[in-house]
Order: sequence, then structure tokens, then C-alpha cells
Amino acid sequence: MIDLRTLTIKKAHEHLKNGDFTVTDLVNAYLSVIKEKNEEINAYLEIYSDVFDQVKIAEEMFKNGTATIMTGIPVAIKDNMLFLSHIASASSHILENYTATYDSFVVKQLKNEGMVILGRTNMDEFAMGSSTETSAYGNTKNPLDLSRVPGGSSGGSVAALAMDGALVSLGSDTGGSIRQPAAFCGLVGIKPTYGAVSRFGIISMGSSLDQVGTFGKNVEDAELLYNTINGYDEHDSTSVKIEDRSKPEPLKRKIGVPRSFLSGEGIDKEIIKNFEENCKKLEKAGYEIIDISLPLIKYSLAVYYIISPAEVSSNLARYDGIRYGLHSEADKLYDVYAKSRGKGFGKEVRRRILLGTYILSYGYYDAYYNKAIKVRNAIKQELTKAFMSVDAIITPTSPFMPFKFGEKLEDPVGMYLSDLFSVPANIADIPAISIPSGKNNEGLPFGLHIMAPLFREDILFTIGKDFEKQV
Amino acid sequence: MDIEDIKKLANMARIDMEENEMAEIAKSFGSILSYVGQVQEVSDVAGNELSHDLVENHRLHNVMREDFATNKTGEYTERIMKEAPAIENGFIKVKQIL
Repeated sequence: MIDLRTLTIKKAHEHLKNGDFTVTDLVNAYLSVIKEKNEEINAYLEIYSDVFDQVKIAEEMFKNGTATIMTGIPVAIKDNMLFLSHIASASSHILENYTATYDSFVVKQLKNEGMVILGRTNMDEFAMGSSTETSAYGNTKNPLDLSRVPGGSSGGSVAALAMDGALVSLGSDTGGSIRQPAAFCGLVGIKPTYGAVSRFGIISMGSSLDQVGTFGKNVEDAELLYNTINGYDEHDSTSVKIEDRSKPEPLKRKIGVPRSFLSGEGIDKEIIKNFEENCKKLEKAGYEIIDISLPLIKYSLAVYYIISPAEVSSNLARYDGIRYGLHSEADKLYDVYAKSRGKGFGKEVRRRILLGTYILSYGYYDAYYNKAIKVRNAIKQELTKAFMSVDAIITPTSPFMPFKFGEKLEDPVGMYLSDLFSVPANIADIPAISIPSGKNNEGLPFGLHIMAPLFREDILFTIGKDFEKQV
Repeated sequence: MDIEDIKKLANMARIDMEENEMAEIAKSFGSILSYVGQVQEVSDVAGNELSHDLVENHRLHNVMREDFATNKTGEYTERIMKEAPAIENGFIKVKQIL
């Protein structure tokens, strides 16, 4: 028996290399957990039928000496990542039967390393949500407490890991969709710098905010998978060339805490208490914790809920019922569009498209969109200045603990507040990570959120590993 | 915002919707717009203090490439056409527009 609970990429690789078990054994171990648990948890929407063809390729690489540390590692991908000849639905009815016509950049990278892609995971429809409850294919349960949500929108990718249904997984993060579910399921999740990982072949939500990132049970696993998908890609015009990225520099060993941002309404007291303990642990690890003033950062969420619906309404205009996806028959062209989109999109997606349509309409464009862009730039500037005196900025990951099903579904603003602490990183394009920081007396996990300057993911990994040792 | 406004938006966005959902959306827009309206309070002050050296938008530039075919003729045609709901003689079928 392979002990999946304590397995890491490095350990798995050693075992595969030494022949203690084969890729087939490893994949079978995960598949049997999935068979046992997935019906209840609904982390995966589909286990791919060609898993053992991929296993064969990985085993061949071990035989002929081309295997890397990632070869044969079982990975789950979010349902918004194209994998040639496989369905990618963004957990929406409108793409229920859509088969990818090419590989996304990230999938190509996984294939190059001979990783085994087990299946696609459930998500909030088109990544719009913070609980995976807006999926057209049912709720995903939090493996740590089946009465609670796993977070979202990458809820299936974290649940797959938390139930030991994969060793690592990929998610995407537009406002917190990797970090908040990582915190809700006690895992590590990283959102890289905007432009670090190609968005080619990722089903778009908010194109100026979307970024693919990784999940692992520890910082090292998330980092190793990040290294696999990180890179320049000419197919994404916002991908940044390696030579244009900032280079690692020695740390100042100073971490900033934006105190006034933590004293707003709606933040759980136990989360603040855990956060204070986390600060002490970082001090013990040799970091100086400094209070910093970031007066504009609290506007990030308002900026986000203008920019992201605006981008959503234009991005999702492509689903017309004519070229691909769900088609509703009607006599007139207008009715084909309206019926296909009315039937194909779920409630939250419809709401956000309408919100974006409103924000971008004549007369409101200046009042909302242009003002949000101005504040976005001012927030970027505020953070850039702050990073002159500190290596990183920390907050809790989520303002509240994993909640129960239905608790926030009817209260859009309440649900949107999930992203309070995670959204500034998307607004400012900077990298951020969520790291488990203990559990409350109900056994629900806390998360520490760390932000770093552009392309300084190395800082997140260094501080993250130092922090892990203290927990 | 009332239901008539929502009807216009749904029409512009080409989405068929039930009346009761439009009423619900009209209601939720009130709280969402009052929340995001916060940006109006700060945008002038925040905007005036902008310095272009500090905002990293200079990283953004047009990305050009030579104008040549990156794939063989017909390489993707079959896969892409398979996704279309209706095809005729190698074309995707659409409704009459005029």
C-alpha cells in the first residue's frame, strides 16, 4: 500500500526511480480512492479514459532515462483548461459537450514532463463564485467537513487533493479562486504573477486578471508544479519573456502588515487571532513584522467587481450557439443567440454578464469602468511603493471560515466578500500564496496569505517554507 | 434600477430570461452597485497621485508577429467543424440575417 496522505512529489519520484512502485501502481492507488470517495465529494467531473495511455508514456520515460522529477506524477486539472480531444466545459451547460480542439499551454507542459492527467475537476461556472455552488454539475463537498463548501472557484481541484484523489492539481485565479479554496481545504495554493503562466487555451473569465496556478499539500509540491507550467509563450500576448522578469535579490527579511485593512467589518475574530499568532511565528523564523499603511487597498474589491464583470460580458459574448457549444433552435438569428445563451448560462453567470453590460454601456462607462481603472493603477502604485521597504505583505487568506452550503448563495455581495484579502494581488498583477496555518476547534483550517512583488514567486516559496516549519 | 432597465440589458446581452429572475437581478444590482460605487469617492484623488514610473503598465506593449500561416491548411478544420451544431457543404450554417 502506498501512503498517499504523506506522499510528496520528491518522495514519489524516489520510489518510482528505485522501483518501489511503478507509475501504474501509483495511478491505481489514486484511482481507487477516487472510486471510493468521488461520488460523495464530486471533486472530479470526469476521469479521462486515456489515463493508462499516459501511464505508458511515463513508464517508457523511466525506462529510457528521460524521466524528470514530475514524470508519472498524477495531477488533476480544472474544467476550464483545454486538453486536446477531451471535454472542457467550464462547469457550464453551454459547453457541456465541447471537446477541446487543441492543448492549452499548461497541459502541453504537463505532457512534456510525462505527468499523468487523471481528470477534470468541478468549478464554479466559468469560475464565477467562491464556493463551487454555481457549477452546472452539482456541489463539491469539502473533504474536511462534508457539510461545508470547499471554496471556489477551483473547489474541485482542492477537494481532489484533500481527499487524496491526486498528488497535485492546477487551478485558475481571477480574484482568489486558487487561494481561498486552498485555505478552506488546508492546502497550499499559489497565484503567480500575471504574465508568468500562459493563458493560451484557458477558458477566459476576466482576461486582465486570470492566471493559472497550482495546488499542493506543501509549498514544495506547489512550487515544483509551478516550475513546470511557468514560462514564456508566444501564443499569449500578455505572457512576459523570461529576460523581462525581475530577478531574485537577497531578502530584507521584513514583512509588512496593513493593519487598518484587517479591522474592517465582516472579518471573523478567530481569523484575526490566528493571524496574530502567524505573525509571531514569522518573527520566530527571523522576520521583522512591520505595520504598513495601504489606504487604497480596501478599494480593490470594488474595483474588481467593476473590471471583472466588464471583461466577463465581453469574453462570454463568444458563446453564440452557432460555432460550438449548446444550440437552441429558433426561426430568427436573435432568438438563436438569446435562447442558447439563456438556456446555456447559469444564474450567477447571467447576473455578471448583465452587470458588465450595464457597466460598459454609454453613460456608465465613465462613472464605473474608467474610474475603476484609475483606482486600479493607484493600488498598483501603492503596493509598488510598499515593496520598497518590505519583502512581502501578509493578511489572512479569507475573512471567514469555510461556510455551509447555501449560506451565502442568495447574498451576492456577501459571497463577493470572500475575495476581500485575495483580490488585491489580481488587481496589482502580483504573485500571492495561501499556506495552511492551523485549525480551529471545529477542525476547520486557517490560511496565511502572502503577497510579493512582480515575478518574485521565490519570496513566497522562501517565506512559505520558513513558515511551514513553525506550524 | 427597475425591471425595464434589466430587460434592456438582457436584450443587449442576448440572454432570454424569466421576469422573476429579472426582478431578482434588479434587486441585487442595488446592493452591488452601491458597493462598487466606492471607487467614485476615491478615483479623483487616487488618479491625481499617479506616477507613471511606479505603475508597471510600461510592461504592456503591442505584441506583433510576422503575418504567415502557423499551421497547415486544413490542420484544424475537421476538429473545429465537429463542434458546430449545424454544418452544410463544409460551412457552418447560420440563420438568414437580412
